[in-house]
Amino acid sequence: MKNRTPLPNLYLALITLITYLPIFLVIVYSFNAGRLSSVWEGFSLHWYRDLLRDRSMLEALRNSVILATASSLCAGAVGTLGAVAMTRLHLRANGLVEYLSTLPIMIPEIVLGMVFLSFFSLIGLPFGMTALIAAHTSFCIPYVFMMVKARLAGMDKSYVEAARDLGAGELRAFYDITLPLMRPAILSGMLLSFAMSLDDVVISMFLSNVNTNTLPLKIYTQLRTGVTPKTNALCALMFGVTLLFGLFSFLIGRSKKYDL
Amino acid sequence: MKKILSLLLLLTLGLALLAGCTPKTDGGGDGDGEPAPPTRLNLYTWEGMFPSEVLAEFEQRTGIAVNYANFDYGENMLTKLQAVNGGEYDLVIADDYIIEMAIAQGLAQPLDKAQLSNYGNINPLYQGQFYDPGDLYTVPYGAGVQTIVYNPAAVTKPIAGYADLWDASLKGMLGVVGNFRVINGMALKVLGQSYNTEDLVQIRAAGDKLLELAPNIRLIKDDNLQDDLVMGEINAAVMYTSQVTMAKLAMPELEVVYPAEGIGFGIMAGFIPSQAPSAEAAHLFLNYLLEPEVAAQCFEWLGYYCTTEAAEPYIAEEFRSFLTLPEGFSLEMEMIQNIGTEAMDLHAEIFTEFKTACGQ
Amino acid sequence: MKGTAAGRPRRGKNLPLLLMLLPIYLTTLLLVAGPLVYMLLLSFLTRAEGWGVHYVFTLDNYLKILQPVYLNTFVQSLKLALLCTTLIALIGYPFGYFMAKLPPKWRGLFSFLLILPFWTSSLMRLYGWMIIFRANGILDKLLMAASLTAEPLRLLYTYPAVAVGMVYVLTPFMIYSVYSSAEKLDWGLVEAARDLGATPLQAFFTISFKLTLPGLLSGVVLTFIPSMGLFFIADILGGNKVVLVGSVIQEQLLKTRNWPFAAALSVVLMLLTTLLIYLYRRITKVRDLEGLI
Repeated sequence: MKNRTPLPNLYLALITLITYLPIFLVIVYSFNAGRLSSVWEGFSLHWYRDLLRDRSMLEALRNSVILATASSLCAGAVGTLGAVAMTRLHLRANGLVEYLSTLPIMIPEIVLGMVFLSFFSLIGLPFGMTALIAAHTSFCIPYVFMMVKARLAGMDKSYVEAARDLGAGELRAFYDITLPLMRPAILSGMLLSFAMSLDDVVISMFLSNVNTNTLPLKIYTQLRTGVTPKTNALCALMFGVTLLFGLFSFLIGRSKKYDL
Repeated sequence: MKKILSLLLLLTLGLALLAGCTPKTDGGGDGDGEPAPPTRLNLYTWEGMFPSEVLAEFEQRTGIAVNYANFDYGENMLTKLQAVNGGEYDLVIADDYIIEMAIAQGLAQPLDKAQLSNYGNINPLYQGQFYDPGDLYTVPYGAGVQTIVYNPAAVTKPIAGYADLWDASLKGMLGVVGNFRVINGMALKVLGQSYNTEDLVQIRAAGDKLLELAPNIRLIKDDNLQDDLVMGEINAAVMYTSQVTMAKLAMPELEVVYPAEGIGFGIMAGFIPSQAPSAEAAHLFLNYLLEPEVAAQCFEWLGYYCTTEAAEPYIAEEFRSFLTLPEGFSLEMEMIQNIGTEAMDLHAEIFTEFKTACGQ
Repeated sequence: MKGTAAGRPRRGKNLPLLLMLLPIYLTTLLLVAGPLVYMLLLSFLTRAEGWGVHYVFTLDNYLKILQPVYLNTFVQSLKLALLCTTLIALIGYPFGYFMAKLPPKWRGLFSFLLILPFWTSSLMRLYGWMIIFRANGILDKLLMAASLTAEPLRLLYTYPAVAVGMVYVLTPFMIYSVYSSAEKLDWGLVEAARDLGATPLQAFFTISFKLTLPGLLSGVVLTFIPSMGLFFIADILGGNKVVLVGSVIQEQLLKTRNWPFAAALSVVLMLLTTLLIYLYRRITKVRDLEGLI
């Protein structure tokens, strides 16, 4: 497809630039010597040093990473199995379950937060990591489920049928044929889950306990009590690490045959 | 795309592993073994209540690791504390009216004053208050009043009390704290009522009065109002004592006004939850906070009125005027207390009305 | 959905599949259906004095929503949601559409660039906007340098600031929806229409737009109602003055401690979401939302 005018590309570039502008500013101000974001008081790295000494901040980061990893793994397993089984086995309840299971990403987060808070107190599940993982898993499942399902819908069924004709059992066909074909969808679903979980404020606000202050909660508190460039520094570091790995893999991908 | 994704996933897992490897601070088995000395203090309060040196020194002295958990609203804390039946946390520091509720619900345990050798350092002015009349459960940690602060260079008419905030010259330039009892109370005070009135007609009238204030409101925020004042985002603000201290330190030319209509007063205090895993650690920490030098360090950081009388001589000169109560204050002051559900609901309603009117 | 697949497996071979289904059925039951049913129940209960609920049936919580102050909140939230969703569609639709027309290599780059910000905290990105909007901040300085305005605009803590924040946070969802719809588009059809003499605009509206409509509508579903719940944006960028339904729920949950009322408000938001999804399915005849990823 040839573009006759450069306008669309300019538009894409412009919007992408605007998307990155606030991130860029946050990073710039992480090097600000002063505390307020209104005045630039010179270049300094001392907020980074402060950050590395701030145990509670690092602990929040650790909690967030554990939470995001656990819930994206759980969601990966549940979502994938569910999507595969639902496309192969048509139960009457599937439609309903599918609708319900995707609800968590369609309804406002605040509703989910309220629902989990009240329900978990009802059934006596204590606040903390378990409750957080359960809640995060529930809103991560849809990402994996939808992606895998879409992938399966676009997949050539004849591979699986051929395998089964050759005598492979359901499980065997699943491991050898379906799973490898689904891998990209599973991975991208899980990655998205990870990112969503890592960024969740509202639900975590209701379910965390003394040991599970997560990073977004920490940042939210600070946004209200006064952000210091220390938080900027943490975000800059996280962004930097992601960007590095991303670019690295992107370049590797480009140098070989590109597989989208 | 696949490669990017798998690499990103690898990164994720790597990070997770890394995070998993950092030494865990919880002491593994928090068993009830009485003789074992406490190893961990679960402290639950707002963000930024202690300078980190104070916490570090406590850890060094006692070998007890401080686990500092935060809540944003006292109500949120109470919900959680209720859900865990007064367990999990060793020490909670919160507002007076919240503590009253916690005590009423049996979520607090009486202090063992034998373990608090510094108990006598407390300023008696802050004791025997409504939330804990017998001083059985709490140790005060800071007190404050609601104050008007303005930038005389940008405000044309001098401000003497709440009523002046209604002046049209302040259009779009006023910031207020987000506690609806305080803000609605402002209107109640202008109308000559008590903060704690349960008369629904009066509260409704205060609501109507507040609607007239809406055009002047730029910002409703509980925390960090002082930065907006200092940065010139707003020209006048109704704020808490700690914010006043920080604002004045950053911008000495600001004018501080104790409203003529009457002053709202609040105390923060620490209490030990009924099922605290380690009441011993909590007592140790409370006692430590009551040491004059430590308290002075805390209050200089916190910016609230110092509730530990013995600490006053240790407060640096530049802070002293901010951290001690101005003379003859207690007469005009009124504490905001818990009121009935119906009055509370109406307060919430008129505040929502007020906020909506501000946004239009 | 009735099974229509040709190779429908026989009963005896279904056990592994049933086992595979089990987790999602269980999680859905325990983590979605159960809680939602409880929320529905809660919305009909009476609030206890001080704390908790009494198991006494009442409709008061719903009647309370009809009080002018809360009804007004709904109207204001809907207005803002409408404004934001329109802006999001105007910005996100062309982006997703143009992105799908790029060569695969560039498509990969842009979807990577779009996903990258998700890895930073959305709160911090909003904080970036605070830096921009500050009085005498970046935007003010630029505008004043260009002599477009004489004095600071004071955009922070205003309605437009909230709208910008919402659009900023939610637009990627629209882009993904449109993109995944446009990606499947058979460009041959567009070419054919062009060959038959259609102008680019005609070709776009008769073919491309029609075929990407599910993406657009799914983007609307994914942004419209959620925008009513993003209380923290109203908090941070709006100076707490723009009252969303989400702000009221949060306040009722954490400050006023009226859980049944918060539940009733949540039920209404749920119903609105369900209604939108229903409309989406009716209009597009597609079951799944496009581009939910």
